[in-house]
Amino acid sequence: MEKLVLRIHRYDGVNKWLQEYQIPYKKNKTVLWVLTKIKEEIDPSLNFTSACRHAICGSCAVRVNGTAYLGCKTAIDEIIETFDTNVLTFEPLKNFEVVRDLVIEWKPKVKKMKLVKPWLIPTKAGSIEKGFQQSEQEFSKIASPTDCILCGVCTSECEQLSVNDGVFLDPFILSKAYRFAVDSRDGSPEEHIQPVVENELWKCIHCMQCVTNCPKGIPLTDQIAYLRKVSMKMGAKGNQGARHAYAFYGDVKKYGRLNETMLPLKTDGIMSTISKRIPLAARMVYKGKINPLHFPKKVKGIEGIRKIYKYAQELSK
Amino acid sequence: MRYGFFPGCTLESAAEELMISTKKVANALGIELIELEGWTCCGASHIQDVDGFLATSVNARNLALAEKLGAPLLTVCNTCTLMLRTTKKELDEDKELRDKVNIGLRKSGLEYKGTSEVTHLLWALIKDYGLENLKKLVKRPLTGLKVANFYGCHIVRPPDIMGFENHKNPRSMEIIAEALGAECVDFDQRLACCGFHAVFPAEKEVMKLTAINCISPKLAGADCIVTPCPLCQMQLDMYQPDAQKGYSEDIEMPILHLPQLIGLALGFSPKELAINRHIVSAVPFLKESLGV
Repeated sequence: MEKLVLRIHRYDGVNKWLQEYQIPYKKNKTVLWVLTKIKEEIDPSLNFTSACRHAICGSCAVRVNGTAYLGCKTAIDEIIETFDTNVLTFEPLKNFEVVRDLVIEWKPKVKKMKLVKPWLIPTKAGSIEKGFQQSEQEFSKIASPTDCILCGVCTSECEQLSVNDGVFLDPFILSKAYRFAVDSRDGSPEEHIQPVVENELWKCIHCMQCVTNCPKGIPLTDQIAYLRKVSMKMGAKGNQGARHAYAFYGDVKKYGRLNETMLPLKTDGIMSTISKRIPLAARMVYKGKINPLHFPKKVKGIEGIRKIYKYAQELSK
Repeated sequence: MRYGFFPGCTLESAAEELMISTKKVANALGIELIELEGWTCCGASHIQDVDGFLATSVNARNLALAEKLGAPLLTVCNTCTLMLRTTKKELDEDKELRDKVNIGLRKSGLEYKGTSEVTHLLWALIKDYGLENLKKLVKRPLTGLKVANFYGCHIVRPPDIMGFENHKNPRSMEIIAEALGAECVDFDQRLACCGFHAVFPAEKEVMKLTAINCISPKLAGADCIVTPCPLCQMQLDMYQPDAQKGYSEDIEMPILHLPQLIGLALGFSPKELAINRHIVSAVPFLKESLGV
């Protein structure tokens, strides 16, 4: 390969256009190197953000060929190999306002992040004078979420945010809530979790994009599951998401299998199911997709499953 | 080839047509599917929200059942595959967790040892069965059929658990469809999420996704979408009339299960593959394209 063809989505605040550049290919170079090369040698009008070049500041995240990458950490060879092409299309991160070219606006996200109180609400056990003692085990709980560098990659690829009106909290904000909720030095985890519950926690669609693309490998989906679990322990069990989860939990305990016929009733309640789901159910029955009289029988070994439930419940105490 | 078959709940309730077509195709290919006796729901990514340890334990039990059978575990559902593989990875990498889970399993006479692999029919066809063997059995090449391959999330993401192919540009579906003689259409939403897991709490957003996921392949000229996941099929098919309400343009797009596409190439009729059960009828375009 002799050259790279770079197609960059440009925006000057009013107009949008696609601009093409060509540079010689060099082995072992990064996405950020490509952008810097263009800016320094071909077109100084190109705008993008970057600072540390060591995957610490998070400012150089950008989309290439339809996926978000941290520019300084990603080798162009990886992208060339993935898509089997020398044509790289650059776009700003999705689900952000765009300021210029590849530069995105963070202010609305920071404002949104403040909802979850992303700061320590200290316990009474510590003080400014004495400090806050934390064991290795306690620190291990925050070791991963504190790796977040606010690069925005998770937000860019979040498929719920791509169709949401803006209320749903970005994955890094959910991670931030988790980070303070599990910190042993924090005395009020519910103050971080309650805003998460009030802002569409259950709308995460399990697309796994955040956890897949996070350049720091933060287990974001596990953290979302934790927030949901704790929110239910705090009493937030009346919403559709919680009822849906409990329907699965209850059916497996009772039968070993899911009762799909009863699932809408358990999740939405009788009135809502009648008003919203009847046309759906009718067309499914008509086509033979579902048999409304089908109820799962208890699976062989159901008593053993219930013993597993009992054991898990004992452990969770 | 012999597998412990894990159908998942949808195959015996809302997607029975996938059970029918899977068994027909497996039988025609000479693949032995032995349904695991006493398998339970994988939790479908929901039980973990209530109790993560329980979700792991329930799937450890499913894995232990496959081990007793002495065969790898095969599913035809992306989410079941992800749940089972996640459990296997957790247990294989964390002895303390495995020991803790096994205390619970022993109460039901089972033990997780880690001896069975978990695979999906799509992967098994490529890795175990072989494309050349599949091609030899094609009786009705799908020439002229333009298919949009909709992977669904959980067969490619997260890659450290799924890992069969490059998650940013997978090719397995295209490889199978082309082996059957079909033409694959490139479209924006190829690796998108169908939204199925949040259709209750996020109905408005998921309907938008459904519409986008159908319009994209339609604009690209596809005759139908094919998916390896019953949940994606259900979301895109049975909710399509609801998604249509928010759009003036016609989003009508038939959605086939992967085994149904294979079954057509093996010479089965749409009725034998229960294609007539779909909400958005695929029969008219199949008559037009393949004359069946």
